[in-house]
Amino acid sequence: MDSTPTRTQVIAEHKRSGGRIAAVFPVHYSRALFRAFNILPVEVWGGGRTGNAGDAHLQAYTCSVVRGVLSAHLTGMLRDAELYCVPHTCDSLQGLGSLFLDLVDPGRPVIPIYLPRDEGPAAVAFMASELRAIYDRLAELTGSRPSDADLQRAIDRECEADSVLAAMLELQGRLALPARAFYAAARSREYLPAEQFAAAGRRLLETTVRREEPAGVPILLSGIVPEPEEILDQLDAAGASIVADDMACCGRRNYAMSTNSDPFGRMAEQILGGPPDSTRGVAVERRLAHLLSLASARRVRAAVFYEVKFCEPEAFYLPQLRRGLEEAGIKTLALEVDISERPSHQIATRIEALLETLA
Amino acid sequence: MSTVVAIGADAGSTTTKLVGISHDGVIVWETIEPTEPRMREQLERLLATIPGSGGSAGPTVPVVATGYGRNLVDTKHRRVTEITCHATGVYRSIRSSGTLIDIGGQDSKVIVIDAAGGVVNFAMNDKCAAGTGRFLEVVAARMRESVQDFAALALSSPEEVAISNTCTVFAESEMVSLLAQGHAIESISRGLHRALARRVASLARSAGAVAPLMMSGGGAHNVALRALLENELGAAIRLPAKPQLMGAYGAALLALRRAAA
Amino acid sequence: MSLANQLRYHLNVSIVGNSVLRLQRWQGEWQMSRPGSWQNAHIAPPVAVAPRLKELISRHYLKGQYAHLGRKVAWVTSGAPVEFLVALGYFVLYPENHAAVCGIRRMSESLCTAAEDAGYSPDLCSYARTDIGSVLTGKTPVGKVPRPDVLVCCTNICQTVLFWYRVLAHHFNVPLIVIDTPFLYTEATERAVAYVKAQLEDAVIVAERVAGRSLGFDKLKQATRYSRQACELWMKIMECGQHRPAPITAFDEFFHMAPIVEMRGEAFTVDYYAALLAELEQRKANNIGAVTVESKRLLWDNLPVWHRVRWLSEMLAERQVALVASTYTNAWGELAHLVDPERPMESAATVYLHPILNRGTGHKLKTMRRMVDDYQADGVILHSDRSCKPYSIGQIGQRNRLADELGAPALLLEADHNDPRAFSNEQVATRLSAFLELLEK
Ligand code: SF4
Ligand code: SF4
Repeated sequence: MDSTPTRTQVIAEHKRSGGRIAAVFPVHYSRALFRAFNILPVEVWGGGRTGNAGDAHLQAYTCSVVRGVLSAHLTGMLRDAELYCVPHTCDSLQGLGSLFLDLVDPGRPVIPIYLPRDEGPAAVAFMASELRAIYDRLAELTGSRPSDADLQRAIDRECEADSVLAAMLELQGRLALPARAFYAAARSREYLPAEQFAAAGRRLLETTVRREEPAGVPILLSGIVPEPEEILDQLDAAGASIVADDMACCGRRNYAMSTNSDPFGRMAEQILGGPPDSTRGVAVERRLAHLLSLASARRVRAAVFYEVKFCEPEAFYLPQLRRGLEEAGIKTLALEVDISERPSHQIATRIEALLETLA
Repeated sequence: MSTVVAIGADAGSTTTKLVGISHDGVIVWETIEPTEPRMREQLERLLATIPGSGGSAGPTVPVVATGYGRNLVDTKHRRVTEITCHATGVYRSIRSSGTLIDIGGQDSKVIVIDAAGGVVNFAMNDKCAAGTGRFLEVVAARMRESVQDFAALALSSPEEVAISNTCTVFAESEMVSLLAQGHAIESISRGLHRALARRVASLARSAGAVAPLMMSGGGAHNVALRALLENELGAAIRLPAKPQLMGAYGAALLALRRAAA
Repeated sequence: MSLANQLRYHLNVSIVGNSVLRLQRWQGEWQMSRPGSWQNAHIAPPVAVAPRLKELISRHYLKGQYAHLGRKVAWVTSGAPVEFLVALGYFVLYPENHAAVCGIRRMSESLCTAAEDAGYSPDLCSYARTDIGSVLTGKTPVGKVPRPDVLVCCTNICQTVLFWYRVLAHHFNVPLIVIDTPFLYTEATERAVAYVKAQLEDAVIVAERVAGRSLGFDKLKQATRYSRQACELWMKIMECGQHRPAPITAFDEFFHMAPIVEMRGEAFTVDYYAALLAELEQRKANNIGAVTVESKRLLWDNLPVWHRVRWLSEMLAERQVALVASTYTNAWGELAHLVDPERPMESAATVYLHPILNRGTGHKLKTMRRMVDDYQADGVILHSDRSCKPYSIGQIGQRNRLADELGAPALLLEADHNDPRAFSNEQVATRLSAFLELLEK
């Protein structure tokens, strides 16, 4: 995807054409809703060299994603965004949203989005009402009121992009690409407009050599976000091939399709019908069944849980998921990182040792 | 002396160990040095000193490198992690499945070994120094004692101060205040060793430890730690003849296996 | 329950158990009444009703021990609507409270370790680790904890409880009722209330199925009425702390709050608080302070440090400092006015959306400001609880604003409510002393 524009280019281009930018924090929200208002959601997962300015407001036991996001804001890295959107992902992001609303002046509107922790009709109805309320907020901010048909069209475009992402994930491990390149492509969904992502993704699928079998030991990668990216190089170097993805930023947003004629209901059903995710608090059995089916479909030999330190949603599930996978003959390895730091030597050693045990 | 047919090099963070073995897997040559800042040069120099193995041109026999600096050896040599090497070395020395505990300066590892000598599972301590040998080094140094003497003090004490915090930073201030409160250094030392043993025992249980227990690495020489670990885990610990060399020895065995293959 | 089991339950709990506990209480009361039985010069003797509290709590756990003889058992989060469970005859157990008891009795460390041994990260909430450790090892300081038939998790205190209860549901293989309460960044919306109400109605259906009986509306109203009365009394009890000298401190409240958390909706809880309030009114009239000499008054934010309550309370009392209120204990009283026994379901939906932990950092700041005023506090201690992110995130800004606006010293105290390993006596003692020196200036 050499011709894929960078984040900065996309933002500049979108602004030039008269659009607005929303910085969106992890994990679940509706891209279509923003796009219908000509607002491009650009996601911020807290990685990269954000520094530690966030320490002025957050205790050291807050995860590095949240601290990274706040640092990015405080150091002006998000200055292009006209508004912030904070999904209610976990206690820590809840805290960040609340800080922005009450204690740390964000200098722009902040829109929190609640994420129901249930999937029944009441939850879908609430999520739809939540999205409708955000619609009203955005209408007020932009002065435009996209019609239901506009919304449906925006959703269609996202569905299209989602199906390209799904195809990429399906072939992950068989595409002759370094892991880093694969994730750079898949994660460009975090800032590219859906139509550009779909086009670039299709190009990638057409032009990349496909292998019959993965080059290395097939593994499943689970966690929130694969940062810092050195981790992906380390997996490659140790002889692993990531063939299945259960990352919150990627595979867990391989959303369900819905044909609901109400656009808000449709968006809600898509999010709540997505793959089981820790931050949605789904039952352990469902997450385990999902991982087991991914593992058996792709003949996975080991699962690597790449976790952000202090991430409670992830950490609670780990022991039971690991036990379930081990019982099915799949080795597991849990790694814990601060995404703002380079992975330690020890992480590389653990990865290599895992692959040695599979040799 | 029989000739060296395979070499293992363990470039650890504090010491660098090299072992040469004969074709039947017996250690016939060994060396151990503190690790120097220029690890690459040190490794090259040491490899050149191995008797009858090629001199300055480097060894002609197979070499496996392990440890922190394993990636610094010439790329023609194989690199294997400490996990596999320690397991291989200890399995060959003790000839038993079980759980190997290796308490090093930077890392503590627990490795579960199956009946064929393979690694079933392993666990390593998390980032902080709590639960590693570093913790004791820091407090012993603060007491102006060697780690060995500090351990001996612990064993000489029938009493034990309860210390639950193994954060190295906290422990130091905690210890100073315990001394100020008039606690004997012996019982403080015992309390600190207990705290470390607890951390490691917890790591072992999380890895699914099975008996017998075995130990390798520098921590194996710490009598107090050993005794308290046995006590915490309720099983006896077996030691290989040369605990500190197990990483290098395992590496040499893997080199030999590769040569034979 | 079968007749035989009914008899056995009655015999063990109502006859033998109650008599033993009553006897113990009398002994306690007698001992307390003897001159010279109280040795601490800085802290006033405990209230005379204290042995009754002990009796209540022991009886609660005793009922739990024999619950298997015929009562269904629900494990619930501390902020969960409990009235419908009480009305359905459930024995209700609060893992958080149980974990706190483990903390007070110095068992939490070993239980946390047991959970960590099973792979649970030491960074998880220490209540959850204590509870999971207790579940896995069967160890508890209360004799025996009954297995749940149903789990009820309300996210109005944190999302953490949801993940924790998912773990429990998988472990016990029992139904989990989730009551998802949208976080209130600002005000509650009607749609949020409707969403919670819909879930409550679903919850009742599941709870009825597990209990094998249907919910009597009168019983629900009755339980709700007791709940409201208990909450009102609890609020008045805490407000006694506004008197100078304060007849009760937050340290005392940390213990006296047990019934309002885990025995809400019961008549005996109302009686207990009425008795406690009467005694405190008496103390107020006689100007008896909980701290013998009260020079300074402080507000506490966040959970108690359960494993150090006594240590901290003695340390403050020696310096003539009374901890006159806490946002934590306040949380169980401040919503009393929203409880409407005539509309139990509707009002529950509103009440259970509004705990301080389900509201923004600005709301908490406002609450603290108001409490500083109402209780005439000279300063604030904000316990920065490594285990509890929803309560702790925002404290840095809250501390700064309180200090700036009030010119009152405010201290951020790093600790953990239930894991003693994350606590350094030395460091805390030094910081606290420095803070108290500031206060005395
Ligand atoms: S990494 Fe975990 S704790 Fe941090 S923001 Fe993401 S979900 Fe929340
Ligand atoms: S202490 Fe905090 S994180 Fe833990 S259960 Fe309570 S509210 Fe949740």
